Amino acid sequence: MKESTLTLVNYIMILALLVTLALHLAMQAFLGVTGYADALSYQTALARYRDALSVSLLTILLIAATYHGLFGLRNILLEWRPGRHWHGAVTGITLGLAVVMLGWGMRTILFAFGGL
Amino acid sequence: MSDAIVSVEKAKAPKKDLITTQVRWGFSRPLNLEKLALLAQRVSGLGILVYLFFHIFVTGSIVGGPDGVPGGQDVFEGLMGMLFNPLAHIGELLVVVGATFHGINGIRVMLLELTRLVGHPIRPDYPYKTQMLGKGQQSILLTAMIMASLSAIAGVFILFLGAA
Repeated sequence: MKESTLTLVNYIMILALLVTLALHLAMQAFLGVTGYADALSYQTALARYRDALSVSLLTILLIAATYHGLFGLRNILLEWRPGRHWHGAVTGITLGLAVVMLGWGMRTILFAFGGL
Repeated sequence: MSDAIVSVEKAKAPKKDLITTQVRWGFSRPLNLEKLALLAQRVSGLGILVYLFFHIFVTGSIVGGPDGVPGGQDVFEGLMGMLFNPLAHIGELLVVVGATFHGINGIRVMLLELTRLVGHPIRPDYPYKTQMLGKGQQSILLTAMIMASLSAIAGVFILFLGAA
C-alpha cells in the first residue's frame, strides 16, 4: 500500500479515536459509574462489554488506537534508519504487533459480549 | 550522465541509538519550542502505546473463554488489586497527562499539515531567525500544555486524594 494511503487512513483513525475516546470516557457517566474504585470493579467493567453501544465504541477505539499507535511507532523507526531490509522488518514487526493487539482485544470483546 | 549529478554513495545508518538521536535532535541548538513539542508528542505517543498494549491484556482477563486462558472475576479483581498502588497510580497519571497533551498537540499538527495554519514563508535575511510557531499554533500548543496541567491536577485529586 502507498504511504500516502496509509497516512490518509491514519487521519481517519485519528478522528475516530478522538470521538470514540471522548465517548468512551463519557460512557462512565451513562453507565452510572460513581467513582474511580467503582470504575475498576468487575461488574462495571463487564457492563461495558455487555452494552451494545459501548461494545461498538470499544471496537472502533481498539482498531483506531492500534492503527494510529503502531503507524506512529513505524514512522519513528523508519526515520531512524534507512534501508529496504529495515523497512521490511519494521513493517513486519508492526503488523505482527497489530495482529496480537487486535486479536486479543477482539477476543475479549466477543467473549465478554457473548457472555462466555 | 546521471552519475555526474546523482550521488551513488550508499545511505549510511546513523551510529547513535534511537533515544540518543531523538533527544539530541530535540535539544540541539537552536532550541525551538516546536521541536520540543514534537519530541514530547513522540514520547507521549510511545508511552500511550505501551500502556495500550498492557491495557488490552489486563482488560482481557475479564473473560476466561473456552480456550483455557485464565480469566474471570477472581483473576480480574486480583489484577486490579495488584495495580491499585501508588506506583501504578503515577503511571496512570502520566498516561492521562500524556494523552491530553498528545491529543491537543496532535490536533495542532493536523491543522498544520492540512490547513493554512502554517503561515506564510518569509525571505531568509541575515541575521537568520528561527521561523517557528505562528500565533495560531502557539495558542493551540499553550492550550495543550494548560489542559495537560489541569488533567494532572484532576488526576492527583482522583488517584491520590480520593476525590471521585
